[in-house]
Amino acid sequence: MSVTLAAFMLFLARAAAHAATPGPSPTPTSVAPQASAAPTPQSTAAPTPQSTAPPPRTLVYLSAKNIDFYYNRFLIEADGNVTVRTSDGFTVTGDAFSMDLKLNRFMVAGNVTLHDSTGTVSGAAISDFLDFRRIYFVPVTSAPDRWTFLDGDLAHPAKGRVMPGDAFYFPLVSEHPSITGTGAVIGTNTYVRFTNARTYFLNAGVPLGSYVVNFSPNQFFAQNTLSGATVDLTWNVAGNTNSLSAVHLRYDPTYHTYLSFEQHFVGDHEYAIFSVNPTTRAEKWWNLALYEKLGSRFQISSFTQYYSQQNFLQAPRAAQQTTFLNATYALPHSYLTATSQLTNYNTLGPGSLEVPDALGGSLNHPSQAQITATSFANKIPGLPIFEQIYEGYGFNHDSVGAGQYLNGFPGFWPEGGRTFAPIPVPGLQAYGAPCQVQPSKVFTYYCPVYTTIWNTVFGFNLYTQSLKLNHPENPYQTYYFNASYNKQYQWNSLPHWINSDNVNFSINRAFSRSLNVYVAYQILNVGDHYIHGGYLPCANVGTPLCPLSFTSFRGVSTQRTTSLGINEAPHPEFNFSLLVRHHDDFPIPVPGLFGLPPNNIIGQPLYTSYLGQAPYDATGEVRVKILSHALLDVSRTFYWYGNPYRTTFWQPSFVVQVLPI
Amino acid sequence: MTQRILCLAALALAIVLLAAGSPVVVSGQLLAYQDGFVFFTTGDGFHVAPNIAIRDAKTGGPTTIKPAPRIWARATFDPSGTVTELDLSHSPLPPQGNFADVAHFAVALSSPVPNPDLLKNIQTPGPGESAVASQTFSGRPVLVTFIVQVPPYTPFTSSIYITTDQSGWNAQAIPMDRVDALHYQITRRFNSGTIFRYLYDRGSLQSQEVAQNGLTRPPRSFVVADADVLTRRDTVYAWQDSGPGSVNQPQPQIMPTPYNPAPFPNLPISVPPPQPQPPPGRPPGY
Repeated sequence: MSVTLAAFMLFLARAAAHAATPGPSPTPTSVAPQASAAPTPQSTAAPTPQSTAPPPRTLVYLSAKNIDFYYNRFLIEADGNVTVRTSDGFTVTGDAFSMDLKLNRFMVAGNVTLHDSTGTVSGAAISDFLDFRRIYFVPVTSAPDRWTFLDGDLAHPAKGRVMPGDAFYFPLVSEHPSITGTGAVIGTNTYVRFTNARTYFLNAGVPLGSYVVNFSPNQFFAQNTLSGATVDLTWNVAGNTNSLSAVHLRYDPTYHTYLSFEQHFVGDHEYAIFSVNPTTRAEKWWNLALYEKLGSRFQISSFTQYYSQQNFLQAPRAAQQTTFLNATYALPHSYLTATSQLTNYNTLGPGSLEVPDALGGSLNHPSQAQITATSFANKIPGLPIFEQIYEGYGFNHDSVGAGQYLNGFPGFWPEGGRTFAPIPVPGLQAYGAPCQVQPSKVFTYYCPVYTTIWNTVFGFNLYTQSLKLNHPENPYQTYYFNASYNKQYQWNSLPHWINSDNVNFSINRAFSRSLNVYVAYQILNVGDHYIHGGYLPCANVGTPLCPLSFTSFRGVSTQRTTSLGINEAPHPEFNFSLLVRHHDDFPIPVPGLFGLPPNNIIGQPLYTSYLGQAPYDATGEVRVKILSHALLDVSRTFYWYGNPYRTTFWQPSFVVQVLPI
Repeated sequence: MTQRILCLAALALAIVLLAAGSPVVVSGQLLAYQDGFVFFTTGDGFHVAPNIAIRDAKTGGPTTIKPAPRIWARATFDPSGTVTELDLSHSPLPPQGNFADVAHFAVALSSPVPNPDLLKNIQTPGPGESAVASQTFSGRPVLVTFIVQVPPYTPFTSSIYITTDQSGWNAQAIPMDRVDALHYQITRRFNSGTIFRYLYDRGSLQSQEVAQNGLTRPPRSFVVADADVLTRRDTVYAWQDSGPGSVNQPQPQIMPTPYNPAPFPNLPISVPPPQPQPPPGRPPGY
């Protein structure tokens, strides 16, 4: 935690420095690409001046009787009692306002007054090309004229200069505005914060108060610390060039409807993101993500997750914390990555959990660290194959073992029941003979328990790019072949190693621009080998927990998967995909024998490959655009067994997501 | 005869006078109407006659529309360049006339001066200089297909998304479809001239793509050119959360237990943990 705190302090210091000195603005767009979501219709418009050095960011304070924002075109149109005040030191009033946020220029027209420290001038219209530091003005003194202000110098206009042909153009808008309001603060190239804002749903106005539209080129605003949800309606309450505060109204099948909050602080080389989710449920996840890039070769990041079970902000009944630390150092043709994970499954301390006594929960702090060197992918000379190698070294430390923490042993007995010892440590750490003294008659304990396991990892990837299998004249008759192979060894400090082989082949063909079909075959082989001993056969052969097919399992699994995928996208706003898979695995999947993987919060399994997966599954997915900025994604997977369990199948619920686009 | 010649002369004179004084009509959008001038979005201001007639452009009758910014107008100029009639409409009017024909009527105190900023676009580039682009875009809808090659260790059922600055960097803005073992694809419609920045991700904070050197990469930039269809091919070298050999990070809200690195976490409870030697009574290797 101290490391995280230090990183956070470092971030705050950097953020403060950036706040004091405005950072360089993103490179303004040149004349050629009209930097707009919807370019101007005047394709014959006169060319605009060339940009030079990046201008400083400008704040534009706008108030008007009515302000409309068009999200799909990033246009702001305002009418009635328009007042514009800019951080460049002047104020403009007029009848109408128009701004293209992507072109980064605005115009005020009709009974215009331009006021700055040198005085006030009346005119018909004024247009400020912010990226180019040119202001075009049509003053009306004794008669109209044309003035151009250069580089922010309002005292010395260049009179009579020819102006760009589209300097005073109003965009054509016919659709309903996305947001309306009476005030806006515009941070050029980054954000707009509306006041008295309303948005519209089925033509009904929804008051928002303050709402921020962020269109910053800084991709760190992409970072989020919230989990997935079926529906997420985001209300950006506040924000500026370096921050964004959002309230989320969400729905998912686990927590149903709830509110969440997320706060972004973003700089050019760093970010800090905090969230609490859900805020309106007793189970709360507090997340903090930090990132800092130091120089051109090194970056460090952390992600801390704190879970608390508490009503509102009352004293929690349970609390856990996990922190991930990552650092990367870039080398000319490879890079080093150090990862670490620190966990505290009970931050409340002794006596914090429920009955029966004061030793609730495990107070151990498991940890893990790994350093890995990874090469770039290099093409093997003379072959259409790329290779990549990696090697890592690290350890896992855990004095108790997974499964102990979430149950809160030894405080999880039924109230008033008889006390018993914790469940035995499962898996690798229990590698040992049965203990001479068994604390329980229910479970078997093994000694010794290995609390720290060191490991060395080595692996490589081989893969091809798409290889043409034929060369027909019609490109839609072309077949492409892809293959990839991964081999990995992991040697542990126990006399034990794991090797895995993963082979993938696929052949695909695009039958048309909209229809794509592929067939893939995957072999995943995992061997969990011990120098001395190892896996034992299951006991009570012939029972549901030890079917005959499972008795030969000795720690080596083979999973063969044949896949048929079909993607049909007849329209950019509609997609349909179907994935049908057949698994031919060892150990043979037997219904009810193996545990199923846990699902994520929206109902999707966390693992895509696991022992006991049903031999057949089919997933259908439909995506359709339902609103101008929303996509509906519905998917469902069916699982079924062949003989002799052909009557066993199940179909989890639909996974539904509304995705903002 | 003389009388006939005089009549013809008078008629010819009348025709000439009528031709010389025929009103000029142009249509366009108003920028302002103030101080005895009417301004169009070309930036030109024209004198307005004191008794100007203001009518409805569609009916030709009286109108409640007042000349103001954004209003569409059909202006009638008299021979002196004064606007004598304005026909107004809230919707665009059919193009009529040419503002180049009335530019000499525009009132300006200063004489026109060339603009060096604009001349840069048509100057011949000097030695060692590249030509300044002067391409413009029609704004037509263009089908853009994104095809991305992902790392070979990308989980087979992973969802791949494109996140863009057009959607506020929403991590799930554009979902893609797998087309083979290494590639995903999606087609979207954009207007030509659109410029945006984008990155690929697997739907969350931890799963954004990183550069080939493992560091966070800057967003890709793309300008949609005028075309019927465009194809954009990219390569993702690594994901932030699952590089080769790295430790996978769980998604938020999943409390991890990675400290027991056994490869088969869901073995039935009937299987005892691996042991260094078989229990007494069983043959070695059984």
